[in-house]
Amino acid sequence: MSAAPWSLHVLSEVLAAFTVGSPTALRDVVSRVAEAVDAEITAIVRQGGFALCVGLEDRDKPALAAAVAERLPLLNLGGAPLHLYWAPLDGGDWMVVGRFREDYTLEERALLRAMGRSIQLSTQVLAALEAEQEALRAEQKAKELAIREATIDSLTGLPNRRFLLTHLAEGLARCGGRGEPLGLLFIDLDRFKHINDVYGHSTGDAYLQAVGEAINDFRDHDIFVGRLAGDEFIVIVAAASLEILKHLAENILKCLDRPWTIGGRVLQYSASIGLALAEPGDSPQDLLDRADLAMYSIKQKTPGGYAFFEPYMLDQARRKADLETEIRRALRGDELISFFQPIISAAHGGVVGFEGLARWLHPGRGLLAPEDFIEVAEEAGLLRDLDARILRDACFSLSGWRCVQEGFCPRLSINISAASLQDASLIERVTDTLAASGFQAENLLLEVTETSLVKDVERARHNIVNLKRMGVRLAVDDFGTGYSSLRYLRQFPVGMLKIDRSFVSGLGENHDDDIIIETIIRMAGSLGIQVVAEGVETSSQRSILSGLGCDFFQGYLLGRPLDGPMSELLFARSERRLLQLGPEAF
Amino acid sequence: MTISEPVQAALTSEADRWIVVGSSTNPDPGLAVREALAPISERANPRLTIIFCSPAYNLAEVSRLVQASVGSGEVIGCSTAGELLRDHPMTGGLLIWALGGEGFAVTTGVGLGDPTTGLRDAAQSAAQCLRRLERKEHTILFLLADGLCGDQMEVVRGAYDVTGAGVPLVGGCAGDDMALQATQQIHSGEILTHAVVAAAITSNAPMAVGIAHGWEPLSEAMLVTGSRGTTLATLDDRPALDVYLDTYGAPAEVRNDPAAFFDFAHTRPIGIARRNRTEIRYVYGADYEKRTLTIFAEVPQGAMAYLMHGNSDSVLHATAEVCALAEQALGGQPARGFMLLECVARKSLLSNAGLLDESLKLPTVAPETTVGGFYTYGEIARTEGSGGLHNQTVVALALA
Repeated sequence: MSAAPWSLHVLSEVLAAFTVGSPTALRDVVSRVAEAVDAEITAIVRQGGFALCVGLEDRDKPALAAAVAERLPLLNLGGAPLHLYWAPLDGGDWMVVGRFREDYTLEERALLRAMGRSIQLSTQVLAALEAEQEALRAEQKAKELAIREATIDSLTGLPNRRFLLTHLAEGLARCGGRGEPLGLLFIDLDRFKHINDVYGHSTGDAYLQAVGEAINDFRDHDIFVGRLAGDEFIVIVAAASLEILKHLAENILKCLDRPWTIGGRVLQYSASIGLALAEPGDSPQDLLDRADLAMYSIKQKTPGGYAFFEPYMLDQARRKADLETEIRRALRGDELISFFQPIISAAHGGVVGFEGLARWLHPGRGLLAPEDFIEVAEEAGLLRDLDARILRDACFSLSGWRCVQEGFCPRLSINISAASLQDASLIERVTDTLAASGFQAENLLLEVTETSLVKDVERARHNIVNLKRMGVRLAVDDFGTGYSSLRYLRQFPVGMLKIDRSFVSGLGENHDDDIIIETIIRMAGSLGIQVVAEGVETSSQRSILSGLGCDFFQGYLLGRPLDGPMSELLFARSERRLLQLGPEAF
Repeated sequence: MTISEPVQAALTSEADRWIVVGSSTNPDPGLAVREALAPISERANPRLTIIFCSPAYNLAEVSRLVQASVGSGEVIGCSTAGELLRDHPMTGGLLIWALGGEGFAVTTGVGLGDPTTGLRDAAQSAAQCLRRLERKEHTILFLLADGLCGDQMEVVRGAYDVTGAGVPLVGGCAGDDMALQATQQIHSGEILTHAVVAAAITSNAPMAVGIAHGWEPLSEAMLVTGSRGTTLATLDDRPALDVYLDTYGAPAEVRNDPAAFFDFAHTRPIGIARRNRTEIRYVYGADYEKRTLTIFAEVPQGAMAYLMHGNSDSVLHATAEVCALAEQALGGQPARGFMLLECVARKSLLSNAGLLDESLKLPTVAPETTVGGFYTYGEIARTEGSGGLHNQTVVALALA
């Protein structure tokens, strides 16, 4: 049996079902109109715009709106022909009904026309519809804003971390499916913290905006740019190859490493870039991690360059992570101890003090020197804990020596990092340690490098002034290798300079080193600051230093670092000899 | 040997998308969930897990256990009037259908309605999940609605308000093992009634919908002259019940016994003439005083309608046919899995004829392809026009 055709005699029945007393009822009517002719789209067109539209997504509405003025009978929508019938409503409005692929028969047109005539749009319904539309628009706008805020970085306007990860996941799925590799550039600005520290955060932000804009200029069909966090930018490259990534990295580095005028200041900072290609089964985080490791590797070696990920970088990172875990364990336990290297008086050759040095009694690797772990401790932000641990251990160790209890106490020099020097709790830590151990403040010297002094002068000044009040003196370590600024020597209560071993090793062989050391000793003398020469390893060096008026020596010639009991013995022997020389020897 | 482009695409995306089905008839909910989830737990990254569960189980318990097992993936589901696997219909069981992999993305939504106002607003709310979806190349909206809450056509209308013509609708109405008392819907661990739950599914590979029923017109076309909601009052200006009973030559007991009528009407639906197809409506009750018929979904006033008939042979092959139709629409790519939504009335008809197992033989579907679904109180499939609610029909969603 063939299907019966639509027939005009259905009209009265259809119209009887139509009431439009509310927006909901109008929506029902509009749906039924579409269903009656098996059409996809129905819209009420009023004053050139849509009062109601069912069947079209927002993105397709402009195409239909463009057909309103001329009431086009046919539209191409998404590649398919959409046949339109325009049924007049009362009051000059229209109802348009759209059906894909199949045009309307004469009967269907008559039916739609009659349906249109039966729809009475009351003012109340239209007002309610308008209010609904307005609420929908406001909701949509709020959603778009929320999505934008959730996916766009507010500082640079670039896609943020969330957006990047989503795009990366999609890219991996897409490129993986086609067998085309996806590449990633992990860009990290070099010394960005310095910009914030020196010029302030507003300059730092403006610099990030400028850099983000510059990197975004590389964006094209295959290149997607976003800001991951802080000073880290990501470039995702579709259909990538090693050559394409290399070329892009070189161009970005060239673009970034140039003078930038930011807020009237000229800044020039480089960036380091890690590159990685996606591998089968990669998650977004896998690819990011590899590019990050490559970036980290090049930044450690030669900032301002780029490097491709190599498997050894992962091994290195894992070893570092393991070491960090072990350091934390050591700090909790009793594996970190103090060794002591003697400081000898140039005047009488006796031991007048010790430099307390960190040693790690590693359960599997034996005794480790700081160079085996200090870098990782610094990266992990553990230097303050390490400094505090060695200070405490050394003070307690010396306080237990018999000679100290008898009133003959050597000076104790302890290295403290820039992090400790700027730490607000430094004074409290030192005070607690001295009080608990009974070690006298006037016998304690805290050794800092020149770089630590100038890193954050104001925060350091507060601690240095309070240390002086407590009677603790400051020694400047590795003098001559950093700023060597007289201004800082005058500004801070420095009691001692330690000439760096690199100058001492050249004594008698390199004339420049002779002159530098002589100058330092004279300068210190004129400021009333004592001088220790570090790294004294030969008698000749000792003899020259004595001749130049150096106050103290430290080095393998005079004694290697020893553990507490051996150091106590060494000091006791020296003490007995000094006692024979008289009290001025101290 | 050269591999065609669609097959190549399917091979390279093997790890990209997966579809898995697990099932159990173990009466203990904990053991049933464990058995049904076993094949799914071997897969990573489930995006959507759908629970089809007999109301014999405590759905809250089942839902909680499933949700806890699949982690952050979306979970929806409903009670059923039976579950179906390939070659294997179930009654009183649990079936879990899941998809995952980077090639799929899913958002879900829910809306609550009530029997007096219907489910249009509920479906609209549930369909809003489509707006949160970051779409890939192919997108559909999958719906599960209360099968006993007003006019089911309202579900299609409400969802269509949001999706428009660009996104196909597919889904089914929840059942209750033919108790016809109350159905349950599941969304993110919550058990609901009078609700619509939706999953917007987007994929980097095609998804297609097939529809078939196998019913044929028995009567001449009639004009629907009186109809409102689920009540069909008159056909060609004659009381609809009388037209129905006379045309089918109903025996005496059907003319005054509601239970007998229900059994009789089970295999005698009404067809609505659409542009190039006939949509089926399930008659499930009669008002002997008002002489009206009660239909699962609206038969629109003004429509052309037929009284339909079918025999077991005519409906037997619909399931196989619908799978073949859906797979053909995948643009040459093989189907990775099927979701079958089959009317419970078809189940009765085929079961009575001893052909239920036979009906699930799917000769065109590759042996390794996943097949699973449930017996519904109404099927949703809209791919053209703006209608799309069916009864006594089988709908297949094929996913490449």
